[in-house]
Amino acid sequence: MKIVVLLSAGAHPVSSAPVLPRLEAQALRLALALGETTGLHAGPSAAPAADALGHGLGLLTHLATREGDDPIPALVAALKAETPDLVLAGRRGQGGEETGLAPYAVAAALGVTIVADAVALAPGAAPGSLVVEQALPKGARRRLVVRLPALVTVHPGAPAPGAYAYGVARRGRVDTIWGVAGSAAEPNPIAVEERPYRPRPKLMRSAPGTGSAAERLAAATGGMASSGANVLVQPTPDEAARAILEHLRRIGVLAPAVANKPAA
Amino acid sequence: MTRVRRDPRADRRAAQIASLDRPRFDLAGRAADGGPGRPRRNPRTEFAALRVTGAARPRFDRQHRGEGAVAQVVSAASTPNVIVVDAPAFLVAVVPDAPGGRLTQHDRQLFGAARTLAGAHGAVAALVAGEIEGLGAIGADRVAALASTQNYAPDVTAAALASAFAALSPRHLLFPETPDGGDLARRLALLTGEPLFPDVEQLSATSVSRAARGKRVAQRAAPARLMTLGADVVAPYSGPAREGRSEPLPTAEVSAPAITDARRIPADPATTPLTVADFVVSAGNGVTDIEAFRRLAEALGATPGASRVLCDAGLMPRASQVGASGSVLTATCYLALGVAGAPQHLQGVAGCEHVVAVNTDLHAAMIERAGLAIVQDAQLVMPALIAALESERAS
Ligand SMILES: Cc1cc2nc3c(=O)[nH]c(=O)nc-3n(C[C@H](O)[C@H](O)[C@H](O)COP(=O)(O)OP(=O)(O)OC[C@H]3O[C@@H](n4cnc5c(N)ncnc54)[C@H](O)[C@@H]3O)c2cc1C
Ligand SMILES: Nc1ncnc2c1ncn2[C@@H]1O[C@H](COP(=O)(O)O)[C@@H](O)[C@H]1O
Repeated sequence: MKIVVLLSAGAHPVSSAPVLPRLEAQALRLALALGETTGLHAGPSAAPAADALGHGLGLLTHLATREGDDPIPALVAALKAETPDLVLAGRRGQGGEETGLAPYAVAAALGVTIVADAVALAPGAAPGSLVVEQALPKGARRRLVVRLPALVTVHPGAPAPGAYAYGVARRGRVDTIWGVAGSAAEPNPIAVEERPYRPRPKLMRSAPGTGSAAERLAAATGGMASSGANVLVQPTPDEAARAILEHLRRIGVLAPAVANKPAA
Repeated sequence: MTRVRRDPRADRRAAQIASLDRPRFDLAGRAADGGPGRPRRNPRTEFAALRVTGAARPRFDRQHRGEGAVAQVVSAASTPNVIVVDAPAFLVAVVPDAPGGRLTQHDRQLFGAARTLAGAHGAVAALVAGEIEGLGAIGADRVAALASTQNYAPDVTAAALASAFAALSPRHLLFPETPDGGDLARRLALLTGEPLFPDVEQLSATSVSRAARGKRVAQRAAPARLMTLGADVVAPYSGPAREGRSEPLPTAEVSAPAITDARRIPADPATTPLTVADFVVSAGNGVTDIEAFRRLAEALGATPGASRVLCDAGLMPRASQVGASGSVLTATCYLALGVAGAPQHLQGVAGCEHVVAVNTDLHAAMIERAGLAIVQDAQLVMPALIAALESERAS
């Protein structure tokens, strides 16, 4: 299987020094376990993405573009020429706009399927297919069978990146070619005003009442959440068990008694 | 006009307070009703008024919920007023996640945000696939049904959304910034060519903002047409119920999905961290049979938790402690066995949507917090639950 990993130039979350984003190192690990992998970076300098060589990447193709150019046309042109079976990307960039739109733009231009938030990849039973395990909220997963070619974005829950090794990095190669000169990145289509970030307090699920101390405590502990509770006093254990199971099924945390077929 | 003449001696006599030993006077006139000065509170009589009559041991209703709450419920039920917006100036559309047809807290917050953007003249439209109950109550003026797909097919759903977007042309379209909602929003942004303002952290009727460049800058803009909203950013809609009138949509042609098979794998309770688990069953000091508790957690497929007492005693691992000094849960359901419900424990449970409590004490705080409360010995209920689950599995 021919795989291309899209590697961006990220900024370190603490020092903002240019580094390879962790998510893309994770994508690289998934790719290396699956088949023949190359890296692709579009931008003025290959240095940050070249960290990927130390994680086991053999060849990084650097599409040189001018500072401030839109990388999407260059990436799309290179991928059209290469026709890989699978393209991997991070679910969000790191240190840039962090919109996560780049993989969708690439997939739309290539006309391939896009699957988001993969944590595990495996070759499918049928040739030309791929089994993708997607991360869902609350620890659930979804296993998909996808027809190739496809573009898959990687979730932070994927296996941790492989270790960086200097010797391995020395053996890797960076090919720099001129990328398709895209128009200058269109200035953000939404007019934004930037200011230094100030963390915002998270909304409290139950806003504290302005009332007495007892009311504020009740708000903080969710005490007001249930009025008119359904109280069973001294039921027989079997009655209690039935009431609990029925309630759990009604709110949907327990699978129905009869159906054991998996839901999509 | 003649002024009434004051007799200072008579005034003083009137201010005298009945007392046994020596004469005392209330010269500020506090004792009399409507007199000048601040009314004096008598904490003892106030506290005595809180006492619940009929309880075996003294209990005090500090929230005054005894009669007041009941009266409130009756008045609310007798005037069911539903807000109807007949000819809205514009629409604000919302695409809730609603996994399995159930609205999440994040979905409710989405409707709160849509209501903020809609203001007095707009209407909130929910775009949903399949039947979802209670959309009117959480703030939907209109409900438009998307063609539901049998399997997971985000490309088909995005195409249906694009045609709905063209048909309704809402002023704003909001998604939750969750794996599925965020995915759909980005697909739609590419399909429609409409710019997306993702992961909104602050929202008002006139501006939205988000973090960028590793949380170094905040980007502020006027509300965009396509936006995704982060969790716990806007409070859910809490006003009176809305109409939830169904809005017809033209049917979109459906292409063949590229995903040939999709299967949902439920979370493994053994590996799911307590903080993200969907269903937590927890034991308190009232549970003496820990072995039965472990078997129950496994039979229910729930993540086991515990109160601090059990963790301190070494009966449960420290990582399973729920509460202020343990894990703060985000579970949908919390089943508490023999937990008294100390404030430090309840802080960990505050985010849970449903609470079920089993306790021998009718007056435990956990029973008060619970939606379903069982006043019974946990040692009897646990084996009964396990037996009920086993007999269901066998049949
Ligand atoms: C700074 C600080 C931080 C703390 N942080 C936490 C925290 O993070 N998490 C936490 O849990 N606690 C915390 N605590 C401790 C907390 O105050 C309580 O002491 C603790 O939660 C009580 O645990 P419990 O409800 O299991 O035990 P108890 O208070 O002993 O309650 C046992 C309950 O079980 C019931 N019961 C008894 N027998 C049975 C039976 N056979 N069947 C059914 N029910 C029965 C009783 O009626 C009672 O309601 C903290 C305390 C402090 C001071
Ligand atoms: N200039 C680039 N070169 C290669 N890949 C990129 C580039 N920009 C973004 N990507 C990929 O797109 C993903 C999401 O980026 P973003 O849309 O900026 O959040 C990243 O994790 C990368 O995999």
